[in-house]
Amino acid sequence: MWWRRAQGRRPRTTRAVTAAATAFLVAVAGAACGAGDNASDSDRGDSGATAGLVRRLNMGDFGGGNAPQRNFNPFSPTALTTTFVYEMLFNINDYSCEVEPWLAESFTWESPTKLVVRTRKGVQWSDGKPFSAKDVAFTFNLFKKAPGLDRNGIWSALSSVTATSEDEVTFTFKEPSVPRFNQIADTRIVPEHIWSKESDPEKFTNPNPVGTGPFTVKSMNSQQLVLERNPRYWQADKVKVQELFFRKATGGAEVDKLRLQRGEYDWNAMFVPDIEKTYVAKDPKHNKYWFPPGANISLYMNLTKAPFDDVEFRRALTYAIDREEIKDKAQYGYVETASQTGLVLPGQKAWLAPDIENEGRVPYDPERAKQILADAGYQTGPDGKLRGKDGKPLPAFSFKVQNGWVDWIQAAQIIRDNLADLGITLNVQTPTPEIVDADRASGNFDMVFGVHGGGCNMYDAYRLPLHSAQTAPVGKPAASNFVRWRDARTDDLLDELAQAQEEEEQKRIVGELQKIMVEQVPVIPLWYGAQWFQYRTEKVVGWPSAEDPYAGPGDQLVIITRLRPNPEYRGD
Amino acid sequence: MRYFASRLGFFLLTLWAAVTLNFIIPRLQPGDPAQSMVQRLAGQTEAVDPAAIESVRVLLGLPTGSILEQYVDYLKAVVRGDFGISYTYFPYSVTHIIGEALPWTIVLVGVTHVLGFVIGTLLGAWAAWKRNTKFDAVVSLGSTFLGTLPFFWIALILIYVFAFTLRWFPEAGGYSGEIEPSWSWAFIADAVYHGFLPALSLLITGPIGWIMSMRNNMVHTLGEDYTRLAQAKGLRTSRVALVYSARVAILPNVTGFAMGLGTIVGGTLMVEMIFGYPGMGKLMYEAISSRDYPLMQTIFLFTTVGVLLANLCADILYGILDPRVRREAQA
Repeated sequence: MWWRRAQGRRPRTTRAVTAAATAFLVAVAGAACGAGDNASDSDRGDSGATAGLVRRLNMGDFGGGNAPQRNFNPFSPTALTTTFVYEMLFNINDYSCEVEPWLAESFTWESPTKLVVRTRKGVQWSDGKPFSAKDVAFTFNLFKKAPGLDRNGIWSALSSVTATSEDEVTFTFKEPSVPRFNQIADTRIVPEHIWSKESDPEKFTNPNPVGTGPFTVKSMNSQQLVLERNPRYWQADKVKVQELFFRKATGGAEVDKLRLQRGEYDWNAMFVPDIEKTYVAKDPKHNKYWFPPGANISLYMNLTKAPFDDVEFRRALTYAIDREEIKDKAQYGYVETASQTGLVLPGQKAWLAPDIENEGRVPYDPERAKQILADAGYQTGPDGKLRGKDGKPLPAFSFKVQNGWVDWIQAAQIIRDNLADLGITLNVQTPTPEIVDADRASGNFDMVFGVHGGGCNMYDAYRLPLHSAQTAPVGKPAASNFVRWRDARTDDLLDELAQAQEEEEQKRIVGELQKIMVEQVPVIPLWYGAQWFQYRTEKVVGWPSAEDPYAGPGDQLVIITRLRPNPEYRGD
Repeated sequence: MRYFASRLGFFLLTLWAAVTLNFIIPRLQPGDPAQSMVQRLAGQTEAVDPAAIESVRVLLGLPTGSILEQYVDYLKAVVRGDFGISYTYFPYSVTHIIGEALPWTIVLVGVTHVLGFVIGTLLGAWAAWKRNTKFDAVVSLGSTFLGTLPFFWIALILIYVFAFTLRWFPEAGGYSGEIEPSWSWAFIADAVYHGFLPALSLLITGPIGWIMSMRNNMVHTLGEDYTRLAQAKGLRTSRVALVYSARVAILPNVTGFAMGLGTIVGGTLMVEMIFGYPGMGKLMYEAISSRDYPLMQTIFLFTTVGVLLANLCADILYGILDPRVRREAQA
């Protein structure tokens, strides 16, 4: 080596370098061992858990993007998880749509424009101050002051909110707004004594949140969020978990799935392909999942363009699409095929109109589709391609699907093949999601997917996709009625629904809306989006499931008050 | 002197052009940040309420006024150093968010850049001195082969072997979260532990360029007459190799190194995505996907200014190191 020959002896610098390198490696190894120990210590407590409580549940991501900042303002779109810290007035059960009293005990509609809510007594904020109806009134008036926080746009309907006593709040609306109850019920309540001091609530990050909920924030950094049990909670005796430990999914979806497989999550909501093999099989006794149906995922057609403006053509399409194949191939069999009524069945069966045959489920029957088309005047040319009523061959239609949404792209391809059987040519295009959203809103499409319904608000379920106030001419962005459905009868029914106070009346009107869906086919529901939900019964039992659907996975407050320790668990 | 003045003038002109392009390009993208945010919160399977989108628009205070007005406001803000409030991390300021991510990138990419340069140059010089021996063959062929492997493939192999199978290192992240970020030894050790695999993957492919260029340059200078004269005069081999050959051969590498320093600010997107490293590259990707204009613009600005400054430094450095360049400029 020319440098060694030149120097003749090993210089001091080499020894110093060796020493430094060794020290470096030792430090790294030390940190490695230390970090490793931390991971395995997490569930075996050092201080020992309080008797009857499970020390920690491992949860998934807690929001805030890739570099989460401390933001516990429940109305901010960039906030971290606040569902366990702040509570709402009523819990509308995600699965059964029953109204359960929560921070409020009861409600009455004194008229279709006046709602009176009675709040619960004896509830405390986590800092010890008492909760009252004044906090409720304050929260709603906060949205008036800071419209950037009004996530439901409630002040477009409200005219005033006042606390008439320590436990009574009156909501006065500009017009009959019975369906707005869901949005009033869902709003999380924040304490007046803290928030009234903020001059700019829209920018308030609420670093140390004070809520009525079962948990408070213990610590937070960009990798993890720790919530601890709130002993002042009004149902504290029902909360059997000491800590909720959220971890950020750094490393992406693949690493996250591996963590799920290893049993590192007790409660999560991830999409997992082939879940029986990759998750349940790893620990069949404890690894469980349940995917209850969410919203309708439907085929939206541009109703301003021929032949989509022909109801017979649309009706034919309902028979031409193989929903079962979409369910099995594109969705791994995780979801259920949808009914043409626009209801989420079987959960919302109570709302089904009695004279609709077969629950509005349209079978896959390509022969019948061809018959309907032929009867309506669409002939098939000698090349097998379908011709319009004017005798000219139909153009190829475009089906725009969001790039990267693989299961939707697969479903679109199945539909393309189904329509090819009828002689209709479909091109599946996959621009970025932002472009698809923009094109869908402005009516620049032939076919796209749309999501509507689900939830428990029947009014919004039909109003958003079908009311003429929600649409706009092609070229201008529509709010949510992307297919450009304009029908006076639909609008009238929806306006009636807004005033109907009795459930019988509401069901009658919704029945009429279902008939419009079935007979006039403004959109074609294909399948119900699944709500992802994985859970482990190793530490706690009492989870909702297909056998015991006492709540949906989104009813987190209900679930946390029903979980109880698994007697067989040998940890702490 | 004229050389340096002309370089400075050129720098200012390109800076203005970069700032203007930086304003125009994000606005050419279609897409509405408010819609993007609400859609992300709702996920794929929930109906989106247009009232939510409207309220987010109000919250973010999305830009109004003509494009020209926005451009003037933007220039004023840049000069003031006020880069606005991020959409994705509302209401935190862009400076705050970048301030958190920048140190991670600068340390990881900076250290590996310097180390890569040092290792690459030394290996290249050594291979050139030992040209046509087995050592030279191994180094040249080895680096050419490694250079053809896709970088992310190497990174994934490292993760698979060391993180999943052997579990010696963590799979992702900048730090474990168990220790609060601070200037304590525990945290720094934790950060180094997490940075080891990303740094290793960068160091496997990093030095390759330096090796090849240094070796080729030095083979060239070793064949020069002045080298042979120095050897004939009886100077020590080490002095001939270092002072007469390597010091001349290293000039292009030094300027390449200085220019490379500019790209550090942008981070190495692929490393950070694969390893989930909380640096500027990952931040930039997130800003672009969510149409976070203020954050996007500022990151692009920092990156372009970084590259321009580094180019300026490289030009000046070259002028200092190599008198021929200065004399040419004066002529």
